[in-house]
Amino acid sequence: MSPPAAPAGLAARAHPYTPLVASLAVIALAFILPAPGGPVVLALLLALAVPLSNDTGAFVPAAWLAVPFWVLLFLLHGVLGEGAHVAFGPLSVSASGLTLALTTSARLTAVILASVLLIRGFRPGRFVDAALESGWPWTAAYLTAATLHAIPRFQERAVRVQEAMRSRGLRVRGSLATRALAFIPLALPLMLGALHDVDERAFALATRQVRADGPGRTPLRPPVDTRIDRVVRWGLVLAVAGAALWRSLG
Amino acid sequence: MNPRLLALIPTCVALNVVLGRIVAELALPVFLDTVGTVTATALAGPWAGIVTGLASQGLTALTSGQMMWLAFAPIQIIIALVAGAAAKRGGFATAPLAILWGALCGTLGGLSSSVISYFVFGGVTTTGITALNALFRYLEFGLAAAVTISSVAADVLDKALTFGFTGIVLRALPLRLASRFPVALRATGRE
Repeated sequence: MSPPAAPAGLAARAHPYTPLVASLAVIALAFILPAPGGPVVLALLLALAVPLSNDTGAFVPAAWLAVPFWVLLFLLHGVLGEGAHVAFGPLSVSASGLTLALTTSARLTAVILASVLLIRGFRPGRFVDAALESGWPWTAAYLTAATLHAIPRFQERAVRVQEAMRSRGLRVRGSLATRALAFIPLALPLMLGALHDVDERAFALATRQVRADGPGRTPLRPPVDTRIDRVVRWGLVLAVAGAALWRSLG
Repeated sequence: MNPRLLALIPTCVALNVVLGRIVAELALPVFLDTVGTVTATALAGPWAGIVTGLASQGLTALTSGQMMWLAFAPIQIIIALVAGAAAKRGGFATAPLAILWGALCGTLGGLSSSVISYFVFGGVTTTGITALNALFRYLEFGLAAAVTISSVAADVLDKALTFGFTGIVLRALPLRLASRFPVALRATGRE
């Protein structure tokens, strides 16, 4: 799944840290809350929150990612599970396996929904500006920005290599052996070209006196960190800490 | 962090992501999404590999909308450490040697990932590995045994091919370029 061109929903308008903290809080809560009720309720609440976040388009990619897990977990723990089996329609399934499958499916669904909402609103440039504004080390901000820019560049180059190789008769469909043999002609030029680029880029950085301890960058348009953003973030952190404390005491 | 490392790490992270997608497009039963991590380690040492691996894991989780894969981040550290040991001992000098180091890495990585897969994901990860799990469960292996066998088998194959391919790349690098990286010449036995 690649990020959409126009970021959607509340996540795109909030400060970049807020949806990130929200996603991490959902992941933590999915594993902290008691099973199977906690993860199921969390997944349902998130599903209800999707329309409120003004990004109902998130349902489709989330379903594509989550449904295979439900099917595989049902098969692995329900149908092939250990323990006493009970009738489930035409099938005989393990009762304890079914509970485990439901718990794990609900956990993963909650994580997937939170991740999809995050990525649909994620804008790399805005995130790097926020990171620089909040005092991240220059090296970390540079590595993040350079990597986010490098991925589409290499993807484009991979497509060009693939088109060039196919025009020379390389077959990328067919038997496993044919497809496996196609990997080296596709990947080797990409790798060698990329490593030559590293040499040139390193020279360019060195001539500009770039150093890890050098002067930091000033973000052009840092995102506004509103009071609502800060309250939401701290609320989520406290919710996770509270749930962890409740589980450890209970 | 010197300029060469600042240029190498983003490139290797992008290579992890893009090579993983090429493999997925070719529908091969492996991942090969750690070639960048192993290359970064073989060129600049384990720290470069660890940073590359963790950044790749984070970015893949973020851009695929599947943050649960972050649970496998420790495996990237294991890969970088084994690749570092291989590079130090000239483990990429020949194809059989690189494949053997890859098999060792796959065994250690597979054992670690089976623990994560069992406890966090209930034994379900990618479709191919889960199909293997289901097969072993059908053959009446316990869930823990099924997850361990399928994870180790898949990882040994994947990492052996990853190290083997990285060896091909490293040996194909011109001496002029390889000599600019501190570990590369020793890794390929050209020192």
